[in-house]
Amino acid sequence: MRLLVLVGVFMASLVHAEDAAIREDVMSVKNAVLDLNRDLYELERQLLSPATTRAAFHITLNHGEYFEPLSVELSVDGQAEIQHLYTERQVKALRMGAVQPLGDLNLAPGKHDVTLIVRGVDHLGQGRELSITESVTKTSKPLITEFLIVDYEELQSARVELKYW
Amino acid sequence: MGNVSRWTSVMLMLFLSSFSANASAEEERGAALKPGDMVPDFTMPATNGFGQRLAEARGSFLMLIWLGRCDECSERLVRYQLLAESMALEGMKGWFVWTPRGDDRPPKMRLPVLEYDKKWRQSWLFEDRPAVMLINADGRLDHLITGDLKDNYKETEQVVMRWISQGRDYQLSE
Repeated sequence: MRLLVLVGVFMASLVHAEDAAIREDVMSVKNAVLDLNRDLYELERQLLSPATTRAAFHITLNHGEYFEPLSVELSVDGQAEIQHLYTERQVKALRMGAVQPLGDLNLAPGKHDVTLIVRGVDHLGQGRELSITESVTKTSKPLITEFLIVDYEELQSARVELKYW
Repeated sequence: MGNVSRWTSVMLMLFLSSFSANASAEEERGAALKPGDMVPDFTMPATNGFGQRLAEARGSFLMLIWLGRCDECSERLVRYQLLAESMALEGMKGWFVWTPRGDDRPPKMRLPVLEYDKKWRQSWLFEDRPAVMLINADGRLDHLITGDLKDNYKETEQVVMRWISQGRDYQLSE
């Protein structure tokens, strides 16, 4: 009887050890999958946005007393690339100083005409459209830019400016 | 050699994943929604103020009213507007979605009137219009009432009342 109990305890400990080993194997497989996923993500990032072609566009709103954006469209060399519609919450965030990443594009090195059109309303509630077209030069380094919507006190209006980071 | 095959497989994977993502997005938007489905996110401009994004309405009950042909059809929508406003204290929002045709002018309402325009890639159109969608706080479609808005008002009102009180009971029991 005692022998039977001993054998039982021994078998149970064996099963327990086996379970632990399986759990450890599962954990290591999970870690390997996570590592692989990280590698893939990094590769994807490098493939999609290498430094030589990466162009990032951001937008900010300075005060916003004379202009409230409702939508924005960015085109490069005449081709519409990015568009965005604003909600009230997003405009509040912009007013509080948020920097909105409009998006990343792949641009070949060289000169490009970048046009930004922002539609919105002025301080009298009238529909207004602000636009800017700039010729930007893409080098082998990433191009990181910011469009600033700034108030123009003298004309009680607003305008868009382009800033390079 | 190993590197080359790895890059090739990664490129292939990226291509396939982008293709399938596009295809599934199109399918998701084109498919007819039915109660129980998650409602795909959208952002649409409004004819009377800021644009609205569905994801930002999470946490509230939403009555989304897809209009059929509507040329300044404010009168037809007043009862729906009152219903939404009377339920505002219960946490319900109401939005209209208007699709312009020809020289149609949008209805003048106090609630947001979203304008569908396919140029905005963040938006999608529900085909079976007119329709009323009741979307719960998790973004799931609880009720879908299709057909003429005038004919369906009574039914919509009853369903909304029941829906809101059930939602309130559920929140209390949690």
